[in-house]
Amino acid sequence: MTDGRRPMAHERGRGLSGRGSSGAGRFRVVASGAAPLALVAILVIYVSGPGSTMLEVGVPLPEVTIERVDFVGSEILATVRNTGPIPVSIAVADVNDRIHPAAVEPDAHLERYETAVVRIPFDWNVAEPYTIGITTDDGTRFEREVESAAPALSPSGELVAFFAVIGTYVGVIPVLIGLLWLPFIRRMGRQVYVFFLAVTVGLLFFLALDSVEEAVDVSQENLAGSFNGLMLLATSVVVSFLGLFYAGERLSGSRGPGDGGRAGEGDGRTGSGNGASPRLAGPMAIALMISIGIGLHNFGEGLAIGAAVGLGSVAFSSFLIVGFAIHNVTEGVAIAAPLSRERVAVWKLAGLGVLAGAPAIFGGWVGGFAYSPIASVVFLGVGAGAIFQVMVVLVRWIGRGGSPANGSNGRGASGGSGLSGAPFAAGIVVGMLIMYVTSILV
Amino acid sequence: MATGRPRAVVLALAAASAIAVLSASAISDVYTEAQRPPQTFLTHTGAVITTTGEVLDPVYQVSEVEFDPDEYLRNFEYGSISEDSKTGQTVREYVIVAEDDRVQEVAPGVFYNVWTFNGTVPGPTIRATEGDLVRITFVNNGTKPHTMHFHGIHPAIMDGVFEPVGGGGGQFTYEFEAGPVGVHPYHCHIMPLEEHIIHGLYGVFIVDPKEGRAPADEMVMVLNGFDTDFDAENNFYAANTVPFYYQHHPIQIERDRLIRVYVVNMVEFDPINNFHLHGNLFYYYPTGTDRSTSFYTDMITMSQTERGIMEFTYEHTGKFLFHAHKVEFSEKGWVGVFLVKDPGPGDDGDYGGDSSVDNGDDNGDDNGDGYAATGGYSGAAGGSTRDVTGPAAAYDGREAPDGA
Ligand SMILES: [Cu+2]
Repeated sequence: MTDGRRPMAHERGRGLSGRGSSGAGRFRVVASGAAPLALVAILVIYVSGPGSTMLEVGVPLPEVTIERVDFVGSEILATVRNTGPIPVSIAVADVNDRIHPAAVEPDAHLERYETAVVRIPFDWNVAEPYTIGITTDDGTRFEREVESAAPALSPSGELVAFFAVIGTYVGVIPVLIGLLWLPFIRRMGRQVYVFFLAVTVGLLFFLALDSVEEAVDVSQENLAGSFNGLMLLATSVVVSFLGLFYAGERLSGSRGPGDGGRAGEGDGRTGSGNGASPRLAGPMAIALMISIGIGLHNFGEGLAIGAAVGLGSVAFSSFLIVGFAIHNVTEGVAIAAPLSRERVAVWKLAGLGVLAGAPAIFGGWVGGFAYSPIASVVFLGVGAGAIFQVMVVLVRWIGRGGSPANGSNGRGASGGSGLSGAPFAAGIVVGMLIMYVTSILV
Repeated sequence: MATGRPRAVVLALAAASAIAVLSASAISDVYTEAQRPPQTFLTHTGAVITTTGEVLDPVYQVSEVEFDPDEYLRNFEYGSISEDSKTGQTVREYVIVAEDDRVQEVAPGVFYNVWTFNGTVPGPTIRATEGDLVRITFVNNGTKPHTMHFHGIHPAIMDGVFEPVGGGGGQFTYEFEAGPVGVHPYHCHIMPLEEHIIHGLYGVFIVDPKEGRAPADEMVMVLNGFDTDFDAENNFYAANTVPFYYQHHPIQIERDRLIRVYVVNMVEFDPINNFHLHGNLFYYYPTGTDRSTSFYTDMITMSQTERGIMEFTYEHTGKFLFHAHKVEFSEKGWVGVFLVKDPGPGDDGDYGGDSSVDNGDDNGDDNGDGYAATGGYSGAAGGSTRDVTGPAAAYDGREAPDGA
């Protein structure tokens, strides 16, 4: 509690001095904010700067991480990064624990976080497993296993088209097919409408967890410990969630001038609504947010697919693509559900579908040609955060009775159509079950 | 709250820039140095590779490690010799200093804390004649206790096991009569024994027969290894410490001249080691104790501290490989070349001391073509059935979406 009071006292002090002489007061504010930062900087310089040996306890161990292995022509290319606390030099390269002459480009000395490419001339065989080893100047050997050697992808026109086709099959077409349920949902009664909205929440929840799980996998398999993969993921999720949430709230209130937006938002939360004015918080805005969230998720999914092909860890089969496609049809339903009480132009619908699905294509390109595990974790985390934000918007919307015009009825007040009703609970359960069952196909 | 709008913009910008920085740092690679002029190097199969970076090449780079395997190869320490006035016995006196704080380059670019007798791994080759009195003043300048334990026949107190010699200048005088005839290892025998051996506290002790052996070009090869990352597996193997050394610097010998190799296996962790000679067979005398042998072979297998004497004569000139036929060991450095020359001076020019290995030109050219054509994988490796089935299976799946 004392912690809570202190800033209050501070603020009061600032206000007083501000009244006295505003120039000096502002300087004091800046100084009081900057002083701790300056002290931290001095501490850092004192402890770790040149010539300071005061705190050197223990022996720092070198660490390099082989971030990717490419099989090109008659060479194996290992991209290595110094992920340890001290500079290292790369001394020896081996394939399957057998030493081979090799070249390091640009050079063998790696400062912290610096990368280099080790070129090992080697007549590798397609589909055989290889272990690539790198030994540093202190004799420590680091290795990375490749389950199945596959020729490295280079951005040729053919491959660009290949990923475009895969992205279209996996992303765009299924989402568009899912949208075709719109007329069906439109004919259903209110209860069923709420049910479908809740199904969407369930679908999104599953997708968000799926993104998180995938990001955890990527960070564990491909990220060096020094990158703090899990915390990077958590940060990405929270930043994305709060950023989009805040932006969404601003957008919702943007019709009212200045403070009016705030007030409108406050009203929305208490369920009284802001009248029937056609605001961006309407069904179209929610569908748009869902599309963006799903689009970010599909970008992450595309990254993973592209990377899997590029790293040779997946042999792409038509079976796998069918699985992804069926799985992603449900994403179309998620976009369609909030629109079912609206008149929506077909081109807008198609636009939403493409917005949600097409990022799979771009993800495939980026993942296949320029794979970066850190970028994968960040994008998957951003996607998860975006989806969580859409879920919150949807749940609140359902709480208001499923339509802004209906808001005055409040949460669950209209006989089981809100958050406490059976359709809501059943919808979420069904949504997650659908996702689980279709995910088995992948 | 009129500041709401700008604050929202600031927040959104902060979030966006955080994401941008995170992903940008992930995608972009950090290169700090400008590119160098291109260099070339050869692969094990003879292909020529050009690089703008640095070459990591244990075979072809001139190694500048502190230990010189060429010098060690034919160096025998006979001690300072005197005669016992009463018995007439020859006395050979040595000073051996142990240290355990040196960091030496045991392979090009790889630095390892070696424990040494007289500063090198292996220690000096101590050589005496059967019946001589060997007197070794052992000084331990290390930080841990060490000893010298000789394989051979001697009193219990001279066995170097129960009399640890303390570090920081501790001393002990080992004194015993040289015997039996043969080639023997010596090593530290402090527990944990494996640790003291693998760090390098070992060497060779040769006892010559009184009547001598036939004149020959004599050399010592200690087969050893280094576990540089302490995972109980050797990272490097060699004859005489430096991996691939004699492949890069062939041992020059003369045609028709008797060669005698004293070979001692000091490899730890791996139960066996072996020695295979190309283009020839050798007579092998296990432990060097017998004067005749029925071993006429090109391949011997040795367990820990097993050793013997190899005798052979080349009747053809040229380059002949010798290596562990446990190929893992040879591909981690236990491989070398004998360069057999015609006897007499002035022949150096023919061989030039160059650094290429014994692969024929045909082999090298074939592989070179394969490297030149980047897409030409199938052409370069059409030999194995695995190659044929592998890509077919992978491409089938990949083309499915196009065809569907
Ligand atoms: Cu010792």
